[in-house]
Amino acid sequence: MKQQANPQAPAAAPATGNTPSGVTPMKVIGHATPRIDAVERVTGRAKYTGDVQLPGMLYAKVLRSPHPHARIKSIDVSKAKALAGVKAVLTHENCQVVWGAGSVAGGQQYSDEVKKNTKQRRYAFNNPVRFVGEPVAAVAAVNRHVAEEALTLIAVDYEVLPFVIDQEEALKPDAPKIWPEGNLALNNRNEAAPQSQKRGDVAAAFASSAHVFEDRYSTVFVHNAQMEPRAAVAHWEGDKLTVYTPSGGIANCRHDMARDLGMPDEKVRIVCQYMGGNFGNKNQNQDADLIAASLAKEAGAPVKLELSRRDDFLGMHGRWPTTQYYKVGVDNEGTLQGIELRGYSGMGGYRKNSGAQGGVELYKCANVESTIHPVYTNKTVSGNFRGPEFPQGFFGIQSMMDDVAYKMKMDPVEFGIRNMSRMSRDTVPYTNYTLEECIHKGAASFDWKRRWKPEPGSDRGPIKRGAGFTYMVFRSGIGSSSAVVQLDAKGKYTVFVGVTDVGAGAKTTMGIIAADELGVPLSQVDVVWGDTDRCPFSVGESGSRTTIMTGWAVIEAVRGLKKQIAEKGTPTGTEILVSSATPQPRMDNRVRSAFGAHFVEAEVDTEVGHVRITKYTTVHDCGRIMNPLTATSQIQGAAIQGIGMALHENLLYDARTGHPLTPGYYFDRIPTHRDAPPIEVTFVESDDGFGPYGAKSMGESGIILSPGAIGNAIFNAIGRRMKDLPITRDKILGALA
Amino acid sequence: MSTRKKKTDAEVTKSELELSRRAFIEAAGAAIVVTAAIPALDAQTAPAAPPAIVADPSVPRTTIRVTVNGTVHRVEVEDRWTLVELLRDHLGLTGTKIGCDRGECGACTVLLDDKPIYSCSNLAIWADGKSVVTVEGLARNGALDPLQQAFVEHDAAQCGFCTSGQLMSAKALLASNPHPTADEARAAMYGNLCRCANYNRYIEAVVAYAGTPARTSAGGAR
Repeated sequence: MKQQANPQAPAAAPATGNTPSGVTPMKVIGHATPRIDAVERVTGRAKYTGDVQLPGMLYAKVLRSPHPHARIKSIDVSKAKALAGVKAVLTHENCQVVWGAGSVAGGQQYSDEVKKNTKQRRYAFNNPVRFVGEPVAAVAAVNRHVAEEALTLIAVDYEVLPFVIDQEEALKPDAPKIWPEGNLALNNRNEAAPQSQKRGDVAAAFASSAHVFEDRYSTVFVHNAQMEPRAAVAHWEGDKLTVYTPSGGIANCRHDMARDLGMPDEKVRIVCQYMGGNFGNKNQNQDADLIAASLAKEAGAPVKLELSRRDDFLGMHGRWPTTQYYKVGVDNEGTLQGIELRGYSGMGGYRKNSGAQGGVELYKCANVESTIHPVYTNKTVSGNFRGPEFPQGFFGIQSMMDDVAYKMKMDPVEFGIRNMSRMSRDTVPYTNYTLEECIHKGAASFDWKRRWKPEPGSDRGPIKRGAGFTYMVFRSGIGSSSAVVQLDAKGKYTVFVGVTDVGAGAKTTMGIIAADELGVPLSQVDVVWGDTDRCPFSVGESGSRTTIMTGWAVIEAVRGLKKQIAEKGTPTGTEILVSSATPQPRMDNRVRSAFGAHFVEAEVDTEVGHVRITKYTTVHDCGRIMNPLTATSQIQGAAIQGIGMALHENLLYDARTGHPLTPGYYFDRIPTHRDAPPIEVTFVESDDGFGPYGAKSMGESGIILSPGAIGNAIFNAIGRRMKDLPITRDKILGALA
Repeated sequence: MSTRKKKTDAEVTKSELELSRRAFIEAAGAAIVVTAAIPALDAQTAPAAPPAIVADPSVPRTTIRVTVNGTVHRVEVEDRWTLVELLRDHLGLTGTKIGCDRGECGACTVLLDDKPIYSCSNLAIWADGKSVVTVEGLARNGALDPLQQAFVEHDAAQCGFCTSGQLMSAKALLASNPHPTADEARAAMYGNLCRCANYNRYIEAVVAYAGTPARTSAGGAR
């Protein structure tokens, strides 16, 4: 069944060129609305996982590997167990729980089949250990100080193994093997093969191109670094397990926990009322959840596990580091003839995600070949961090193409418009297409022609300014999710949705959608969220999907409720009307995408290498905007996160010792108030007839474009191409020397 | 805690507040009974559970007198407890968050004798004889502080985890400089990290509250 098109939507013709933007106004949707739980968030009443206190609760701490690669010959926990107040100790010897969400190959962490089949199983406690910070043992004790002391009493005898930190080094024949099968990560069919895409004939294209350019770009491991360190509170009541945990997807987390612990789904309850930031890879369970649950079972008491900031940096996940080798052929007019990408992505000791590098698909080109190698290293494990494969991939290819434009003596905006793909992968039409409009609007608002310098580095004096731009296409697919809506005799509507609010405002959005569809003010709608025992399935907060998928389920549930009201009248006395929906929207042979463009002006002090962002303009088509207040915050925050990735952040490893040097806020240097310029946000609204009144993906869009746009602006300012993130002062001074 | 808050200092009897080790452990025992009455499954939505952590008799301890949000507490603390540990684990004031526990992020910012400090990097015993204000102390008689209201209207809290700290730093700034510029607000608050990077909104809220224009020169790398 095709999703019912919205009555207000423009005629849905396949879009292969520009389609007009614009949406018809609505009553609740589209108006700036403070979050329905904003008061809880500013008064300290919002309860996060670490705020949960249960009667008789124990405190857990995790002992982590001090070696990048080592075999555990023996562990002696007798002294720790003997310490007064210690209630449980777990190691790989007495806890063989497989962490399904973290172990499976190929990035398909929700597939039970893959967990069964994979040769490279990841346990809650592994032997050998494959990175500094990997869990080796866990203790539950009456308070956190006793738990900490107990860790110091655990004696581990390690056989230290050789290690490798860099993803290209790890593929060399003499590199230490992290898995018996080698360091090229296995896919979900247990095959060690790079991800390849091929179209046309690149070799022939380069042979006949007027100009061929080659270059190498690299990006580093940057950590999600959400403000709430990972925590879990696990509590058994008979054979029923409740876990309070900062999960971006309570339904997936529940299924992961049930599968990993060998329980039926309905015996697991996941609760996440408030969560201190997500930014990716939390739509699942974490080893902290499994460790807390296992300790709680062993100790016969509730257990709270809170990771320290360092443990969170090392025990969680962040953006995979990449090296990217490009070869690009153009004709004399600057039209692309061939693109080749050979890429290497560092997965850490386990494969948690795809390791893909996005961006090649942005360009219209008949001859494309990309080969990406996901590689094991002895760094901590990489995962999906906001726009998983795109910020690093876009930095590479959009720097490369910017450079080609200059070499062809073309304005990069004109080069982009000439060469961008107007169909998905050059073959499938979009449901609508506004990318050119986004670029033109951004260029006009930013005053590109005035700020961009045809001659890079041409400012006189030591302080030089320049302008850069990038554009994007980001997936915005429809899909299934569930919602329940009820009406009581007092006229109160309650929406039950399995979303958590990771900061993007999901539950407010669900309330807004229900209120608009019901034709009532938002104050008449309650939203119940974040609890698998109370809420139906939701896809979870990943892939910027919640508004589209769960929002559509809310609309369908409300339509069902309205039908019931029409048939039965409004409820009286103790009556309640309840409607549920799990729509299965289908797409014809088209692709839904969000579009956007960022324009950045950077000022570089060439004497000290300091970069300051002096203007930052964003234009996004995220379809219809549900709540301009929170939508603007999303884009602003994401762009500033991207500034951190471009200029500062680096989970740096010492290649001689395999040790992380910057696992924490101070040395990893996430942006502060002083690094955050005002981000100008413009939305090009559209309604393609899909999703809730045309709403598309948003949360990840903002970060994808910043590193490339900033790198390009720096090039325009100083005339030196910065090819390795982060673009720190030393690199700028080195490039100018 | 909520019943205590409603009373003025004079009305609060010493026996209610003086937590000797024995009384404390007893209170913790009582707390278990009380919280057991609340379905444990609702722990994230129910009011803050009373302290449930048992003090360790083998550890040095000191009785301190500290005023928290206007209420005087005499409490026996372990000398190793940090101030945030006292607030969160033992006084049930979980609005103050721990983001790093080592003075890097500012999520635990509270006012100590009106100065903003990182409560993760101060021992509880150092607060002896002093006055602490946490985020729970901002709203009066159920009405939000106007700064909190500005935070609501300007969408200052995305995930909300750093918000308490941002509020406390902003309060301290506004006490000494009622009309800060955007740059002054950034300078006062840059010890408060926000990974949602909702910095534009935080500054917008503070200058809107203060009635000063949002002029800027931010955006530099360090």
